[in-house]
Amino acid sequence: MNISLKIKSLLNEAEVYRSQGLLNEAREKYQAASGLITKIDKLKNKDSLLRAIAEKIQFIDKKSAKTGTAPSSPELSEKGQDLIKNLFGENDLEKAVALAKFGQFERALAEFQALLKNEAYRLEAGKNIIRCKLATASLDDAVAQYQQWFSQDLFSAVQLESIRVYLQPILDKKGFGTPLPVPVGEKDDADGIEFSMPEPEEEMLDITSIGITFTNGTHKGKMVEFDVNFQSGDMLSLIVAKNDRGMIEDLNEGDDIEDVQFYSPIAMFKGTAVVATKTAIQSGPKQGDFCLDLKILTA
Amino acid sequence: MAIFNLKKKEIECKVVFYGPGRCGKTTNLEYIFKSYKKQITGEMVSINTEGDRTLFFDFLPMGLGKIKGCDVRVQLYTVPGQVKYSSTRKLVLRGVDGIVFVADSLEVRREKNMLSLKDLQANLKEYGKSIFKVPLILQYNKRDLADEGIPLMSTEQMEKDLNRQLKVPSFAASAVKGAGVGVTLKACLMETLKSLQREFKWAE
Ligand SMILES: Nc1nc2c(ncn2[C@@H]2O[C@H](COP(=O)(O)OP(=O)(O)O)[C@@H](O)[C@H]2O)c(=O)[nH]1
Ligand SMILES: [Mg+2]
Repeated sequence: MNISLKIKSLLNEAEVYRSQGLLNEAREKYQAASGLITKIDKLKNKDSLLRAIAEKIQFIDKKSAKTGTAPSSPELSEKGQDLIKNLFGENDLEKAVALAKFGQFERALAEFQALLKNEAYRLEAGKNIIRCKLATASLDDAVAQYQQWFSQDLFSAVQLESIRVYLQPILDKKGFGTPLPVPVGEKDDADGIEFSMPEPEEEMLDITSIGITFTNGTHKGKMVEFDVNFQSGDMLSLIVAKNDRGMIEDLNEGDDIEDVQFYSPIAMFKGTAVVATKTAIQSGPKQGDFCLDLKILTA
Repeated sequence: MAIFNLKKKEIECKVVFYGPGRCGKTTNLEYIFKSYKKQITGEMVSINTEGDRTLFFDFLPMGLGKIKGCDVRVQLYTVPGQVKYSSTRKLVLRGVDGIVFVADSLEVRREKNMLSLKDLQANLKEYGKSIFKVPLILQYNKRDLADEGIPLMSTEQMEKDLNRQLKVPSFAASAVKGAGVGVTLKACLMETLKSLQREFKWAE
């Protein structure tokens, strides 16, 4: 193809991609066009052409920086929130949980507060209030909320204990000093049996995927997202396809991984993890893939 | 999961438009909203923020009227394409009854199509569904751009990339012009209703 035609068609492509929001594709075509123009010796308006293209690229860079930093759960309009409630929740509790899952914590919090009046939902509402406070405010806020309930009689001792059992391990993990006061219920000392319920599963958030920022190897400095295939408490199992084995080459059992992003349906948080096991799958359809077990250390 | 009310003879089912970012999912819904006024039973709601058309999802309710004695309502959704919204994608996909996979015909988006289809398969699997069994239609969108000299993949190429194993119905389309949008939707609704009929046997 004639070089000026070639340049024209690259610019045409770049323009279409840009108009469709395909910013990386647009940038590539602009750069390719720019490269061709630079090589032509005698071109009258060479400099102004190159300048114009550079400006376009700059504009794209600005725009992609903006979309790149867009919040993963922006505050929605009331109408949008209503829709989410109705689409993803059957009863009032589920509706409020849906709001929290889509990151609409402020309104979710207000709805959970209202649900405290409802005997049937009270305990779940209480736990979710703690959950929202942990996601948006601080540990102190969550603790203050617990303390307040502790001094009132909104919850029964059994319910309050269930909330404590949910919150305490989270505080422990973050190294929060003072333990929460333990509620004392109506004592039934007739039989003196001591029995503590196992901690509820939900104390650890469901983690759907994690992002690892590599500190060495070919992926150095890049964050790669992995799906979590299985979770049991703070142990996450990932299946890494054999084609991607290069990525985890430098990860060995016992290695700490700093700066891990954890993505869960209700929140996103950073922490560290340690490689518990790394095994090659020997048989079945996933033969040759790797199974990586990571233990969440701090989150 | 479709909501099926045997007493009232009502079905409400969920169809999701899936595909990579910017392939034209929202544009499909916009065209449906404009062109099937009689069947649209409410507003099209796009849950998004400024600067980005699909942070979360779009939603459009439709009513198909009585089919074999049953009142059929459909909720159409789109999912956000970008990698970082994977948890929203999963949420929207929950309980899906039928899927339109919108693929971008642009040559430069070839790999993104394949990754998105793989992502769909993985997400369905988490809900215990197989991509081979769920009602699914492929749409090869943006065919109009060939006239503007933009490199597109041939539909044969796209069939090979995306539909070699699935072997589901596929349609070429230009969502901005509306071409192919209606047939895609109709095919998907047909497949979806057939599969619901097999499950619930409402039509006697
Ligand atoms: N030329 C052309 N452009 C399209 C077509 N469908 C969508 N677009 C454009 O592609 C861009 C992204 O479309 P959108 O519907 O927001 O994509 P989504 O991210 O899949 O929802 C927009 O600029 C649309 O106008 C089509 O069939 N032809
Ligand atoms: Mg969209």
